Amino acid sequence: MGNCLKGTSNEDISLLRGNESSSDNQHDVIQSPPYRERVPVYYPAPNDRRPANQLSEEEQIRIARRIGLMEHLPILAYDDSINKNKECVICMIEFKIGEEVRYLPCMHVYHVSCIDDWLMRSFTCPSCMEPVDAALLTSYDTN
Amino acid sequence: MANIASQRIKREFKEVIRSEEVARCSIRVELLDDNYSELKGEIAGPPDTPYEGGKFQLEIKVPETYPFNPPKVKFLTKVWHPNISSVTGAICLDILKDQWAAAMTLRTVLLSLQALMASPEPDDPQDAVVARQYKEFPEIFVSTAEHWTSTYAGGPRKKEEYSKMIEKLMGIGCDMDQALVALSSCNWDMNKAIEQIFG
Repeated sequence: MGNCLKGTSNEDISLLRGNESSSDNQHDVIQSPPYRERVPVYYPAPNDRRPANQLSEEEQIRIARRIGLMEHLPILAYDDSINKNKECVICMIEFKIGEEVRYLPCMHVYHVSCIDDWLMRSFTCPSCMEPVDAALLTSYDTN
Repeated sequence: MANIASQRIKREFKEVIRSEEVARCSIRVELLDDNYSELKGEIAGPPDTPYEGGKFQLEIKVPETYPFNPPKVKFLTKVWHPNISSVTGAICLDILKDQWAAAMTLRTVLLSLQALMASPEPDDPQDAVVARQYKEFPEIFVSTAEHWTSTYAGGPRKKEEYSKMIEKLMGIGCDMDQALVALSSCNWDMNKAIEQIFG
């Protein structure tokens, strides 16, 4: 099995953010000479930062699986009559009404880019520490 | 420094300043540079512990990846505690390593450090010598920690007997820090301390 996370193609995290995936940034990557090719960086553990081509097969599978699970976490427009939290605890900036926020199974909400960056390092809710894996699987079971 | 990191520290800094702990003089933070990457913290030794009455200075370095990674924190004030290195001030605390969460803040870190001072975890030590003393000679541990608090952090309790032993060692050419470390790690056995320094 090859390097399933190599390159910035399908598994890129920016795909999770909807239509941003065809940004200019990607264009740059394709055009730059091979020796300067920018390989996406992942976090197999919270303090372990490595380019995709230096991950073991097991780590790649785990990260790919995590990205897959993240896609199932709903993104909705922020509504201050439903959400108690007034600000995203990651960047500490107040939510604007109608802004896209990602819901975790524990119902904590965050800016999509803030929480995606966090989940790629640690698959837990930063507020209540509930593991997202377990919570996702339970919510599948009950539905 | 990355935008999100400095923006957050800016907000947190205000949060700490307004907090009730600051009003009670229990914690304090001070900015050391304009881009919010280095701060100085201070925590008061918790009541009913050997650290009571002392003020402990902390070095806080905020990484560019904050809040996705924890701040790097160490004690600048020398302290005798199983989970804090008596030599370097390095701290062994899970939330500053793998148990960090992006929702934690400077305020919660400082409060967690106060909690750690009040309840040491000798089975997960940073300083093995201190941890052994904590388990095997709890009374010596308490008076030693008090002596360190009074020597370095302005605490009120000092054992006359310990001060005399330190003076004796200073009389034969040791400096004060060296004498205190040697005596503390030898459970205040003068001969062993001399052997440790000169042996």
